[in-house]
Amino acid sequence: MQRRSCRPIEILLVEDNPGDVRLTKEALKEGKVMNVLNTVGDGEEALAYLRRQGVYTQATRPDLILLDLNLPRKSGREVLAEIKDDPDLKRIPVVILTISEAEQDIIKSYNLHANCYITKPVNLEQFIGVVKSIEDFWLTVVMLPPR
Amino acid sequence: MHGLLIIIGLAALLQLLAAYFALRLIRVTGGRTAWVLIALALCFMALRRGIKLWRLLSGDLSESPDLFDDSVSLAISVSMLAAVWWIAPLFRTIKQAAETLRQARDQLELKVAARTEELRDANIRLTVELDERRQAEAKLARYAADLRRSNAELEQFAYVASHDLQEPLRMVASFTQLLSKRYRGKLDQDADEFIDFAVDGANRMQVLINDLLALSRVGTRGKPLEPTDCEAVLNHTLVNLAAMLQETRAVVTHDPLPTVPADEVQMGQIFQNLLINALKFQGREAPKVHISAQRQDGEWIFSIQDNGMGIDPQYQERIFAIFQRLHRREDFPGTGLGLALCKKIAERHGGRIWVESAPGRGSTFYFSIPGGKENDRDAKKKLPTH
Repeated sequence: MQRRSCRPIEILLVEDNPGDVRLTKEALKEGKVMNVLNTVGDGEEALAYLRRQGVYTQATRPDLILLDLNLPRKSGREVLAEIKDDPDLKRIPVVILTISEAEQDIIKSYNLHANCYITKPVNLEQFIGVVKSIEDFWLTVVMLPPR
Repeated sequence: MHGLLIIIGLAALLQLLAAYFALRLIRVTGGRTAWVLIALALCFMALRRGIKLWRLLSGDLSESPDLFDDSVSLAISVSMLAAVWWIAPLFRTIKQAAETLRQARDQLELKVAARTEELRDANIRLTVELDERRQAEAKLARYAADLRRSNAELEQFAYVASHDLQEPLRMVASFTQLLSKRYRGKLDQDADEFIDFAVDGANRMQVLINDLLALSRVGTRGKPLEPTDCEAVLNHTLVNLAAMLQETRAVVTHDPLPTVPADEVQMGQIFQNLLINALKFQGREAPKVHISAQRQDGEWIFSIQDNGMGIDPQYQERIFAIFQRLHRREDFPGTGLGLALCKKIAERHGGRIWVESAPGRGSTFYFSIPGGKENDRDAKKKLPTH
C-alpha cells in the first residue's frame, strides 16, 4: 500500500488493435488506482521496451504486463516465452488478455507460465468489469515484487 | 406218300418265309450278321427240303422218306416263323421306345441349350447391371463425399466468418456503448436516438453471431456421444435459468430422465433453448412446463410440454428453419436460431425434432435420441423441481 502512495503503478499493454488500447485506457480511467499505461503494438517492440533497447532506453520497468496473443511480427506466445525465460523479467506478472477461447491457447499460455489468462468479453460493460477486476486484483490485492 | 410231299413242301415254303422275315427283321432290330446267318440256315434247310421234294417227285427212291425228319423240319419252320412273328413287334416296340427316348433326349438337349443360352444372356445382363450399379454406387459415394466436404466447408466458413466478424463488431459495439454511456443526455434528443439504434443493432448482431457460432459449432466442435445423464443435464440447465424462472414465476416439473448416448453440452443447449421458448412464449397464466421421456422403437423421445400461447399448425415446420421468426422483435426478442440449433443437435445425435401444438393450447416439443437402455429411468425416483 505504501508503494501506491509513492508512485503510480506502471502497466505495459501489448496490443495491436488501437480500439482495444483505447477501451483498456478508458476502462482503467474509471479505476481507483493511479496508473500509467504504456502501450506497444507488437511483440518485438514489447521485448525492446522491457529490455530498454532502441527507442525505449528511458522506459520504466512495468509492474504488470497485459499481453495479447495475436500480435504482428512476434506473437504473444513468443513474447511470453522470452519474458519467462529471462531471469530479470520473469517475475513481472503477465496477464494474457485475448479474444481467443481456444483450449489450446489457454493450456499453452499457462505452460509458458502466464500468471493468468483472460478472454476479452464482447460487451463493453463486461470488458470494463474485467479490466477493473484486473486492477483490483493485481494492483491492490496482490503483493508485487519490488521493481 | 402225298402227305409226306405236302409236309416237305410246306416246310420248305415256311422256311423260306421265315428266312424272308428274318432278313426283314434286320431293319427293325439291327444285328445284321446274326439274322443273315439265320436266314442262310433257313434257306439251306429249305433247299434241302426242295431237293428232297424234287427227288421224290422225279421218282428217285434212293431218298428215304423219313417222316420224322421232315416233321421236325416243319416244326422248326413253324416255330421259327412264330418266333420271328412274335419278336418283330417286340423289337418294334423297343425301337419305338428307343426312338422316343432319343427324341426326348434331343429335345432335352435343345431345351438345355436354350436354357444355357438364356442363362448366358441373363448373366451378361447381370454383369452389365452389376457394372452399372457399381458405377452408380461409386457416383453416390462421390456425391456423399462431396456433400460431406461441402457441409464441413460451410460449417468451417460459418465458424470462421462469425468468429472473424466478432472482432470488428466488438469495436462497433463497445464504442457505441461507450458513446451512449458518456454522452447520453449531453447531446440532443436525435443524437440519443441514433446512439440507441446503433447500440441496439450492434447488440443484436452480437447475439446473432454468437448464435451462428453456436450453430456451426454443433458440427465442428461437437464432442463424441457418451452416456449422458439427462436428469443431471436438465438440473444444471434449470440452475442456469434460475433468474428467468423466478422472473416468469414458472413451474417446471419433470419425470425421471434416462441416460442416453449424447454430447452433454449439446443436450444442455437443446433443453435450455426449448425451456427458454416455453418461458418466453407464455400464455395468459404463469408458465407450467413438464419434461418427460418415453422409450419407443429403440430410441428415447423427450417431450417438453408447456401451457404457452401455442403455434399455428401452418408454422409448425417453419419454426425449425434458420432465421425463421413468427413474432415481431419488439414483442419477443430472439434471432430465430434457437430451434434451428435444437434441430441440428437432434440430427447430429441421429434423432428428430417436432412439435405438437394449437394456438392457445400450449405446445409440446419432442425430440428423439436413439440408443440408451430400455428401463434406465425406472431406477430413479420421480422428483419434481422448482
